[in-house]
Amino acid sequence: MRDNAKGGALTEVTFYILLALYTPRHGYAVMQFIEEKTAGRLSLGAGTLYGALNTLQEKGWIQPLDGGGRKKEFAVTALGREAAERELARLRELAVIAADIMGGAEHEGKALPVFLGPDGGPGQVAEQNGGQRLPSGAY
Amino acid sequence: MADSGFRLVRTEKLLYEFEPCQPGQYRYCVEFVGHKSAAEAGEYARFLEDCGCRVFFKNINLNWNMGKVEARPWADPGGRLATNATTYNRELLIVEKEDDGKPFELHTTREDRAQYYRACRRPALFLFVMMGAMGVLLRSWAAGVFALAALAALAWYQLALARLNRRSGLEE
Repeated sequence: MRDNAKGGALTEVTFYILLALYTPRHGYAVMQFIEEKTAGRLSLGAGTLYGALNTLQEKGWIQPLDGGGRKKEFAVTALGREAAERELARLRELAVIAADIMGGAEHEGKALPVFLGPDGGPGQVAEQNGGQRLPSGAY
Repeated sequence: MADSGFRLVRTEKLLYEFEPCQPGQYRYCVEFVGHKSAAEAGEYARFLEDCGCRVFFKNINLNWNMGKVEARPWADPGGRLATNATTYNRELLIVEKEDDGKPFELHTTREDRAQYYRACRRPALFLFVMMGAMGVLLRSWAAGVFALAALAALAWYQLALARLNRRSGLEE
């Protein structure tokens, strides 16, 4: 998993894993969290998640917890929180610039991303946004 | 076999044992882990089990022996000397998951797939060079046939990587 170290942009997978680990979770729970939050749009394979968790551990952004349970749990570290906060600030800046260029007034109140669900219907976030749908290529 | 209603319950070197189940009840993926160290392969298998999968180790060779030591210059550090006690005859993982209606894939991002293909390409390249050299130097047709088989695998992984790179350039 290669994040853009120079530009500071995280991949979507990295960002979602960090968000998932604000609450300690084991691997399968991370997969479920991401699938649930994206209404199935982003579904991580277990092999991909394993590699991503290892990379994030090497970066010091997440750490395994000594819970004593059979399943290994992970949690985000202070460094990982900083990276997630930087990404959120970057996305906010991008949204402001995009709204400014694309017509702020027209897009005001529609800042929530709209994702299609796995069946082509509105996904979880779309439902929160009044069921508004955009073409699948829009994001 | 899974589509016909058979579930894998045991593997040996030349044996696969199945039991009846509902057709399509389970899905399977096969993954090459011969480049990993024994510790890494074991940890990966445990992680897959934690994710709700059942995992079987399987041999890629048909080689009965004890005390075997094999050099794997193409493997990751820690896996370059494979023995019967570590990763020799445990090069493949057969991963089972109960069908939940979604495609069963272990590697889902382009970058991760590319990394896996590169790991699989390394032994193919090594075998091609080694067998090719043996075929030429020893004038051995058998080595030549192995070199061609390795070349076919090498070409397959190279094309798969080229396709992924092309798609990375076209899609965000």
